[in-house]
Amino acid sequence: MIEYEALGSAYIFLVNLLAFLAIYLIVNLSLELEYGKTGIPNFGKVLSVAAGAFVAGSVPGRLLGQLFNVYGGVAGITDPVVAECIRGLSPQKPSILNQTEYIEDNVVIVTCVNKVLAANPVLSFGTLVLTLLLAAAVGAALGLVASYPALRLKEDYLAMTLLAFGEFLTAIGYYTRDIVGGTLGVSVVDPFGWVGGEFRYLTATLIIAVVAGFVVLYVRLVSRSPLGRALRAMRDQEVAAEVLGKDTVALRRNVLMVSSAIAAIGGSLWAFYAGGVIATAYDRATWTFLPWVMVILGGAGNEVGVLLGTAVYITARMLIDQYKGLLEPVLPFSVIWLDRLLMGIVLILILIARPQGILPEKPVYPLGRMKVRRIVEAVKSKARS
Amino acid sequence: MSWSYVVVDPLLRDAVIYASTLSMLSLGLTLTYLTTKVPNFAHGSLATIGSYTLLTFTSVLKLNAYYSIPVAFLITGGASAAFYLLALRPLINRGAGLLHQMIATIAFELILIASLNIYADLLTRTFRIQSRDVLLRRFDVQIEGVGPGVFLASVVFVAVTLTALVLLLHRTRFGVAMRAAIENPMLAGTLGVNVKLVYLFSWFLAGGLAGVSGVLLGLHFQQDPAFGSRMLVSIFASSILGGLSSIYGAVLGGYMIGLVEVYGIFQLSRVVGGWILPYRIIFPLLIMAVTLLVFPRGLSGLRLSAVVSRFRRGGVTP
Repeated sequence: MIEYEALGSAYIFLVNLLAFLAIYLIVNLSLELEYGKTGIPNFGKVLSVAAGAFVAGSVPGRLLGQLFNVYGGVAGITDPVVAECIRGLSPQKPSILNQTEYIEDNVVIVTCVNKVLAANPVLSFGTLVLTLLLAAAVGAALGLVASYPALRLKEDYLAMTLLAFGEFLTAIGYYTRDIVGGTLGVSVVDPFGWVGGEFRYLTATLIIAVVAGFVVLYVRLVSRSPLGRALRAMRDQEVAAEVLGKDTVALRRNVLMVSSAIAAIGGSLWAFYAGGVIATAYDRATWTFLPWVMVILGGAGNEVGVLLGTAVYITARMLIDQYKGLLEPVLPFSVIWLDRLLMGIVLILILIARPQGILPEKPVYPLGRMKVRRIVEAVKSKARS
Repeated sequence: MSWSYVVVDPLLRDAVIYASTLSMLSLGLTLTYLTTKVPNFAHGSLATIGSYTLLTFTSVLKLNAYYSIPVAFLITGGASAAFYLLALRPLINRGAGLLHQMIATIAFELILIASLNIYADLLTRTFRIQSRDVLLRRFDVQIEGVGPGVFLASVVFVAVTLTALVLLLHRTRFGVAMRAAIENPMLAGTLGVNVKLVYLFSWFLAGGLAGVSGVLLGLHFQQDPAFGSRMLVSIFASSILGGLSSIYGAVLGGYMIGLVEVYGIFQLSRVVGGWILPYRIIFPLLIMAVTLLVFPRGLSGLRLSAVVSRFRRGGVTP
C-alpha cells in the first residue's frame, strides 16, 4: 500500500516534470530562434504565450457552445448529453435553463461540453488541432506586429518596447471580463477527457512532448539549413549579410512570425493541460524572464544547450517544489519564492563567470559529422583507385 | 464651491501623486541609462522596497509614516548601488555586451520580487500583519484645505529633488564631473574624473529616489509586492517620451504619462463611456509608440525654435 502510494507520487511527479519541461522547451526554443539564432532581444515573450492561452480559453468553449446551441436555453440544445447535464446542474442556478452566457456560466458550459468531448475523441482531437492552428495564426500576427519595431529600433529601445507591449494582453485580459473572465479566469474545454481517469494527464503530457519534439527537430533543422546560416550571419554582421544578398527585413519578420506562432502553440497547450486560464498567470516573470534565464543558462545559440538549460532549471524547480514539505516548516516564508531568488543569483553568477552558458554555441556541421566523414572517405578512395 | 473643494478633487489628487512619483522614477531610470547605458528592468521593483519600508514603519515599528522616507532612501539606494557594484561593474569590466547587462537587471528584478515576497511572508507570519493588498492611507496626516499629506509631499518631493539636482549638477565640482562623465566618459576619465564613482553615485541616487517614490505611492495606493513591477511599463513610456537623454525630459514625460493615465482616462470615459477604463495600459503604450514613430528622440529632442521656424516656413521641412 505504502509502496503503491510512493509509486503514485513518483508517477505524478514525473508526469508533471515532463509536462513543464515540454511546455518550457517549446517557449524557450521559440526564444532561441529569436535571440540565439537571430539576435532579437524579445523581452515580450509573454505576449504570444498569453495570446495562445487566451485563444484556448475563449474560442473553443464558445464555439462548441454555439455548436450545441447552449446559449438560448435548454430547450434548443442540439445534444442530449449537454441538455441533460445542464438540467442536472440547474438546481444550483435555475437561470441556466433559460439562457446562458459563456463567461458568466463558464463552469456549467465547460463541464457539459466536456461530457460530449469525453465520449467523442474525433471532436476532441479536432478541437485541439483547430485551436492550436488558430493560436499559431494569432501568434504569427503578433510576431508581424512585433517585427515593426524590431526592424527599426536599437537593441535597448527594442527591449524596452517589446517588454512594454508584452504586458498588453495580460493587462487587458485581467481588467476585462469578456476575454478570459478577468480576475476570476475561465475553465478550458478538455480535449484529453476521452482518455479518462488517471491517464488523462499522461496523455496530455505525451501530446505536448510530441509537439515539443517537433519544435526541437524544427529548430535543429533550421540551425543546419542555409536559413540558419543566413540568420547567424545577420546576427553577427548585418551589413555583410546584406551585401551578400540576404533580405534582413524579411528574415527578421519571418523569424518573429514563426517563433511567436510556436510560443502561442505552447501557451495554448499549457491552457489545455492546466484546464483553465487566468490572466494573472501570464506575467512577465513566468513567461518572459524565466525563458530568458533558461536560454542563457543553457547557452544561447546552441539548441542542445537550451534543452539542457531547460532540463536543469525545470528539474531543480520541481525538486524544490516536491520537497517543499520538508523545507516549509523550517523556513518562515513560502518556498515558491526560493527558486526565483536562487535563479536570479545563479543568473548573475553565470553572466559573470560563464556568459556563453553551459553549452556554448559551436560551429554547426550542416550535413552532420558522419556524412562529412563518409564523403571524405569516398573522395580518398576515389583518389587511390 | 469653496476653495478646498477645488483643490481636493480626489481624482486629480490621485493623478498628481501618481504622476509625481512616476516622474521621479523615470528620472532615476534615465539617470542610470545616461551613465551606464543600460535600461534597468528592475527599477519598478526598487520602488516597492520603499513601500515595504513604509509598511514596516507604520505597522511593525508604529512610527510616523514620514520617518520612513530617509530610511527608504538609504535602503533602496543601497540595494541599487549594491547591484551596480556586485553585478553590473564586474560585467562591464569583463566586456559584457549590452544584452547581458540588461539580462543582469532582469536577474536583479527576479531577486527583488523574490525578496519582497519573502519579506511580505515574514511580516505576515512573524508579526501577524497584512502584507499584501494593503492600503496605508490611514497613517497619512490630513492637512487643512489640501487633503492627505502625501499630495503635498509628492509635489514637494519633486520640487526639492529637482532643485537639489540643478544645484548639484551646475554648482558643485562633483556635479560638473558627473555631467562630464555622462557626456564623454573616456575624456572625463583622462582628466581625472572618477567615472566609476559617478556611476555608483547615479545608481545610488536613482535607487534612493525610487525608494522615496515607493513610500509616497504606498501612502496612497494599495500595495502588493508586484506594484512597482507593474509600473515599469509606465516608467519606460515616460522615459522614452522624455527622450532617455535628459533628466528634465524624464520628469516632464512622467507628469504627462501619469496625468493622462489616471486623470485623462477618467475624463475620456465621461465622453466615450466607462468601457474604456480597463484599457488604461493602452495610453502609456500608445504615447510610447507615437513617440518612437514621430519623434524618437523624445521631448528633449524637440527644439521649440525649430518647430516655430518650421511653421514660419510654411509647415513643411525638406
